[in-house]
Amino acid sequence: MQTANESHPDSHRVDSYSNDSDRDLYTIPSYSSWFSWDEIHQNEKIAHSDYFNSTSISKTPKIYKEYRDFIINKFREDPIRRLTFTEVRKCLIGDVGSIHKIFRFLKNWGLINFGVRPSDVYCGGAAENLGRFDSGARSSDSDCNRGDEDEVRLGRLKVVVEEGAPSGIRVAEFPNSTKVLAAAPGEAAVGSGCEEVGEDGFRLPPLTSYSDAFGEAGRKKGCWNCGAVCVSGYYESVKQGGSVICAKCFKNENYEESKLADDFKLIDVDGTGNFGTDVWTDSETMLLLEAVTKYGADWNLAERHVRTKTKLDCISRLIQLPFGEHLLNASVIKGVDRSSSYHASDVKQMGTTSATEPQEEPSRTEDQHHECMMSADVAAGQVEDGDGSGRPLKRRCITSSGDAGSSLMKQVARLSTIVGPHVAAAAAKAAVASLCNENPCAIKFYEAEEDDTSHDLGFPTLNNETTRVIEGADTDMVKHKQSDSLEATSEKSGPSTLQIRVAIATALGAAAAHAKLLADQEEREMEHLMAIIIEAQLRKIECKVKHFEELELIMEKEYSQVQQLKDSNLSDQIEVLQHALNAGISRWKDDSSKLSTNHLL
Amino acid sequence: MKSLLPIASKQPIKFRIPAAENLVPIRLDIEIDGHRFKDAFSWNPSDPDSEVFMFAKKTVKDLKLPPTFISQIVHSIQAQLTEFRSYEGQEMYGGERLVPIKLDLRVNRTVIRDQILWDLNNFESDPEEFARTFCTDLEIEDPEIGPAIAVAIREQLYEIAIQNVASARETRISKKGRRAAEFVTASKSGGTALDLVKLFGSKASIIRKRKEWDLYEPIVDILSAEEAEALDAREERNARLKKKLDDKDDGYITRFTRS
Repeated sequence: MQTANESHPDSHRVDSYSNDSDRDLYTIPSYSSWFSWDEIHQNEKIAHSDYFNSTSISKTPKIYKEYRDFIINKFREDPIRRLTFTEVRKCLIGDVGSIHKIFRFLKNWGLINFGVRPSDVYCGGAAENLGRFDSGARSSDSDCNRGDEDEVRLGRLKVVVEEGAPSGIRVAEFPNSTKVLAAAPGEAAVGSGCEEVGEDGFRLPPLTSYSDAFGEAGRKKGCWNCGAVCVSGYYESVKQGGSVICAKCFKNENYEESKLADDFKLIDVDGTGNFGTDVWTDSETMLLLEAVTKYGADWNLAERHVRTKTKLDCISRLIQLPFGEHLLNASVIKGVDRSSSYHASDVKQMGTTSATEPQEEPSRTEDQHHECMMSADVAAGQVEDGDGSGRPLKRRCITSSGDAGSSLMKQVARLSTIVGPHVAAAAAKAAVASLCNENPCAIKFYEAEEDDTSHDLGFPTLNNETTRVIEGADTDMVKHKQSDSLEATSEKSGPSTLQIRVAIATALGAAAAHAKLLADQEEREMEHLMAIIIEAQLRKIECKVKHFEELELIMEKEYSQVQQLKDSNLSDQIEVLQHALNAGISRWKDDSSKLSTNHLL
Repeated sequence: MKSLLPIASKQPIKFRIPAAENLVPIRLDIEIDGHRFKDAFSWNPSDPDSEVFMFAKKTVKDLKLPPTFISQIVHSIQAQLTEFRSYEGQEMYGGERLVPIKLDLRVNRTVIRDQILWDLNNFESDPEEFARTFCTDLEIEDPEIGPAIAVAIREQLYEIAIQNVASARETRISKKGRRAAEFVTASKSGGTALDLVKLFGSKASIIRKRKEWDLYEPIVDILSAEEAEALDAREERNARLKKKLDDKDDGYITRFTRS
């Protein structure tokens, strides 16, 4: 029965294990070789028939497969440790009885807990204590027997089948596993053929440690005959894939009688091509990266840091990584101050150039553009020529990132256009000066070269007509000079590297100047904006004050009006009362007058 | 055992403990003249009753209890067996039901808390084996714990089975057609059962959510001697209190005189 399997898209039966280096290797006993991630085998269907007769909602083939896959995956997260049912059941929804049944099934077939510590046998001390006065004792007895069987099996197990693993789970590779592989197909057909294994079987080591699995020995093939690890090379059977014997046994004609010497072909382990093929776990890669950032190109130290891989493996792995080379360069450069700061500024430069590009574009003339390209080409040429020179660190940093030289020259040119001629010239001068301090022989070179270096960089922002003319004249000269220097560099590489360094220093200077300019401008802008803000705030407060004053005035006016009104009211009332008193007294009027007098009081 | 598997899950089946072996959980708590005897174990109800007396005699002898205990033990076991047998032969609802079983027990100085799901329809499930695995996996050495867990599970299954019988009876009485009957069963007896369609539907994953792992994870605590003593004392106090109450309304005695 084929079931869709989304979780392990790349897993299939590993019959052609020999070139399956991209997958992790697990050990399962040969009698379980029927197992496959993608299918549910007849054995499973018979043992768990309740899942396959569709009588219940909670027991379907899909659910069975989910249980099974989860349990196996859980075990393979750490195949050295014994997986317990108690651990599994807390993660699985469902009847503990049926999950336990699946768990037992997988355990009995060696799909989980295979090759873990033999002391952890299933039949624990608690077994005898159960069912003290009832027929439960019967069942515990049978369980004990089962446990004993397991123990026997564990002791005699010799056969291992490599199994395709789900991606993401890394497991130890079993040393000498290939030897065992060969035995699998024959016995696997029987299913439970573990009893028939001959005396050439070996005992599983109780613990497969990490270094065992990934260390040197783990990748060597074990001899089919003597079990020794084949160090230098081994013979592999042509007819029966994976059947391996070591060179010593081959010489002594110590192989199975059914085979002829011609059936074996020599496989040399020492040859190249075996490197970088083995599996790197994520943690190993992390260790490698750590080592590289820490120690740089010191592979001995890196090897020691990673621990489980050889020097060559480390190198090949690093090369395979998409960013490995850059990383290596970055760490190598660290040794040289100047270059490292170059690296940093290079990054910064990227930002500034891209930001200012639109502005400078129109001002650039065709000629200058050409010149830029020229200088870039020259630089690239110099870089390539510099390859042979005896400054390994320096050379490395330039050659490694392909067109670093050319892009550097381009950027220098571009930068100098941004910052203006005077700044660039000053930067170049300072760079040359400091270089000359460092290396006296450079003075000679730069005395000749100096002016065209500065011109080389191109100053398109010059509006001055005369300089432009001069520059035009100079460009020709520059081209001559450059072709000269190209020839010169092919002979002696010293000047070329110097030139590059000057260019770098110039670029740095220019970038710094530009950055300074930008920073100043920014600061001014900020000050200006702050001033505007403060002014606006002041104006706002003024407005408010004015408004409040107006309000106060209005209030005062209204107050006086109210006062007037009050006064007139009072006088009116007094008048009315007077009139009433004068007109004569009635009872009703008396009341009302009382009321109003009260009111007045 | 396979023959016991109901092919149509809705068909009612005869009452039994929904586990591989039909064993009755028996709990004894007898106090005579200051001597207290507490125990829990499972008993095969098809064993002849003479075994009960043999068992009581042996236990009293082994534990050096006063001989007055023998009759009390026999009495208690017989009563519990009779109660179990009174359900036998009755029909109970045999549908597939997943019930959560909560374990919370203390044996000597070990406290165990756990939660599991149990399928009432799975007559192959084995509480004894579960308990055994539990002890092995958690490396519990106290030999009394395994049987205690098994009995605790059995007691809960027994309880649920009794409820099942009651609900099956109710269903039969209210003959309102199949659908209505099912509804009644689902709502009455399924109070604690989980929604199977929700759990095992095509969309659901049988892998539990990570945050729920703790809920279904066994917790084993070893108490210090003082803590255990304190708990013992409290339990004894509670038991005495309860006994006084029971004596008052005579409920305790009527339960035993019925047999």
